Amino acid sequence: MNESRVLVVDDEVDFASTLAERLQLRGYRAEAVFSPEDAVAVIKERPFDILLLDLKMPGMSGIDLLRVARGLLPDVEVILLTGHLDLEAVLEQVPEEHFDYILKPIDIKVLLEKVERARARRTGG
Amino acid sequence: MGIKHKLLLGFGFFILVYFAGGSFTLRELHIITKKLRLVERANEIENLFLDSRRLEKNYLLFHNPEHFEELDRHVRMLRVNIDTMADEIAREIGAEKMGGLKRNLREYQTLLQLIAENHAGQLELTGQLAGAGDAIEAALPSEALQDFLALRGAEKNLLLRQDVEAYEAFTATHRGIRARLPWEAERYAAFAERLHRLYVGGDRMVASLRQVARDIESSTKTLASREQENIERALRTQRRLLYLLLAVTTLIGATASLRLSSSIATPIRELERITKKLARKDFSEVISPRGNDEIASLGHSFNEMAQQLKDTLVSLELAIDNLHGKQEALVEAEKLASLGRVTAGVAHEINNPLAIINEKAGLMRDIIELSPSFPEAERFQRLIDGITANVVRCRNITHRLLGAARRTDVVRAPFRLADAIRDVSEFLEKEMLFKGIEYAVSSPENLPPVTSDREQVVQVLLNIVKNAIDAVERGGRISVSAAERENGTQTLTVRDNGPGIPPERIRNVFEPFHTTKDRGKGTGLGLFVSYAIMKKLGGSISVWSEVDKGTTFVIEVPGAGPQGSQS
Repeated sequence: MNESRVLVVDDEVDFASTLAERLQLRGYRAEAVFSPEDAVAVIKERPFDILLLDLKMPGMSGIDLLRVARGLLPDVEVILLTGHLDLEAVLEQVPEEHFDYILKPIDIKVLLEKVERARARRTGG
Repeated sequence: MGIKHKLLLGFGFFILVYFAGGSFTLRELHIITKKLRLVERANEIENLFLDSRRLEKNYLLFHNPEHFEELDRHVRMLRVNIDTMADEIAREIGAEKMGGLKRNLREYQTLLQLIAENHAGQLELTGQLAGAGDAIEAALPSEALQDFLALRGAEKNLLLRQDVEAYEAFTATHRGIRARLPWEAERYAAFAERLHRLYVGGDRMVASLRQVARDIESSTKTLASREQENIERALRTQRRLLYLLLAVTTLIGATASLRLSSSIATPIRELERITKKLARKDFSEVISPRGNDEIASLGHSFNEMAQQLKDTLVSLELAIDNLHGKQEALVEAEKLASLGRVTAGVAHEINNPLAIINEKAGLMRDIIELSPSFPEAERFQRLIDGITANVVRCRNITHRLLGAARRTDVVRAPFRLADAIRDVSEFLEKEMLFKGIEYAVSSPENLPPVTSDREQVVQVLLNIVKNAIDAVERGGRISVSAAERENGTQTLTVRDNGPGIPPERIRNVFEPFHTTKDRGKGTGLGLFVSYAIMKKLGGSISVWSEVDKGTTFVIEVPGAGPQGSQS
């Protein structure tokens, strides 16, 4: 149905793998990695359409990873996953970057809408 | 008048009185001494004259010339004595009587002289009479002698008795025998006649002398007794005066010392009594100083000190109360702040496992939905719905907790509290109408805008009004009002007539998970979050409540004034 390549990056292994599996069930080519380093390695290896990044990870934050990923894949769509509400602070940190976000625990319907919007932006733009 | 002056006046008065009384008494004593001397002199005069009378009697009896000499000396001494104290005597018995006394003395002396001369004459004549008689007797013939001897008998009788009767007897005898006697007998008879005249003259003089002597005696006696009386009178006067002085000084002294001691001791006792009360923190009484002495001024100073002490004590107590209040508020704030940190940490830690549970449950649902022949798919889906519903419930809690603790920037802009009230009213009016709650809002027309985060203030007000709606029964009353305090701070007050909060629970109303609502109806975070928001904005929330009367929340919104406060 769709061939969008989605990478889920979260140090919570259970969360990342389960979410990736659910996306796979819905037809996405979803993968999960559990550290920012692995994420960078995977992105260097093959391209992705959409990145789902946890905001807080050991070693590198979602924001840093966002920057690195944009360096490798300039047009990649990013949805930040966060347990916090203080996104205003995040927005201020990266005013040049565009991204979407969703609060954890996530509502799968909302996430799918966001992912679809992102895919639409890529195919349309 | 000062105590010093009072004491000086008191002692000065006594010194004056004693000095006056003492000098008066001294003067009187001096006068009495002088009078005593006069009395002595008067007594001396009286005694001298009494002595003179004794000598006079002796002299008149025996006609001893020694007696005469002594008597004469006495009288001269008397006259000298009287002359030396003539003034005093004149003062005592009067100048006239004094003149009489002196005259009498002179006369007495003259009479004495005359009596002496008379006596000398008598002696001489007696000798001549006897000589003539003897001569006649010798020459007379015996026949005539008998008759003449009878005449000599009459002569002896005359010499002896020296009175008129004896002389008449003599002349009668002489007349009877005259013819028979010689002519020498005529001379003899003439001697007898002269002698008789001397006797008569002498008797008269003696009578005069006695009269004068009596006068003198009475004068001297009068003088002596007068002086005695004077002395006694003076002593009596002096005694009376001393009694009076004693009575007056005793009376005045007693009164003065009583008044003086009470004027000193009474205020001191008062001072002592009030000091004791003061020591027991009883400020109900002050000293009422009388007069303007040292003690009165001490009283004024004391009152001032007591007032200062009272003021200090009151301000100290106020400060301690204030400090306690602040300390409690600080402890409360610190408690809430650490609670906030803890809950935020817990919320964050729980959020990740919650996300995993959510995903696992979601995957289970996915699998069931995608399997066409999953046994009891419906039952499992219901179970999964239960899991996800509770995940949502947990998520709401963690998101609210994290929301309370988030470090979002405050967006400050001027707005009116009336606008905040309107926002909340619009949102909740329908609900209140539905529940039949009597709702009233009020805010002064001229309330200036505050500079704060309108959205967050509205959120807080919304929380509190929602709580009020949940608290009141159907038909209850809720009022929301804005006001300005004297210091310019603006407040929002939410008042309800619900069941109120018991005192033992009111301290905990701002703590998280503290709820009076039914289980599942509220999260117990509304007031905690509201409190955290107002703290963040630099304001505060306080609460008053009375069971069965209702509850009042006061939100203190900072940022009043032209540019708003910095917080």
